[in-house]
Amino acid sequence: MAKKLELKFLNEENRTVTISVDQPIEPVDAVAVNAAMDEIITQGCFFSSGGNLISKKEARIVERNVFDVQL
Amino acid sequence: MAVSNLISSQLQLVFEDGLDDSGRPVLRNKNFNNVKTDATPDQLHAVATAISGLQQRPLHGIERNDASELFES
Repeated sequence: MAKKLELKFLNEENRTVTISVDQPIEPVDAVAVNAAMDEIITQGCFFSSGGNLISKKEARIVERNVFDVQL
Repeated sequence: MAVSNLISSQLQLVFEDGLDDSGRPVLRNKNFNNVKTDATPDQLHAVATAISGLQQRPLHGIERNDASELFES
């Protein structure tokens, strides 16, 4: 089923900003994810309604399962 | 004279997602909004490379989509 890697950051208002990546490499390489998130913060090319992204909050894999219901 | 003013910017990663029936790569776009209009190509390239390294599909290209408004000065 479709999986996504969600990178969650905190902005200047301490609110969460999510950047999601489709078809993540599994198993997840924590070092690579950390490095990528650090890079996104360092480059500072994204903004949000609450200002710049200033810290990492969490990263997680989200899987969506779809089951058809017979009608 | 009309002038243009950059109002929004978007980072677009183009990934290859297998081949079609005639053997040509199928391209899929992944867009990231909320890019600062003053972001530099270096910054965007670094971020695109970092994001691309976390997923499975081969990166085909990195694009930037800018929108400008035009007005009479």
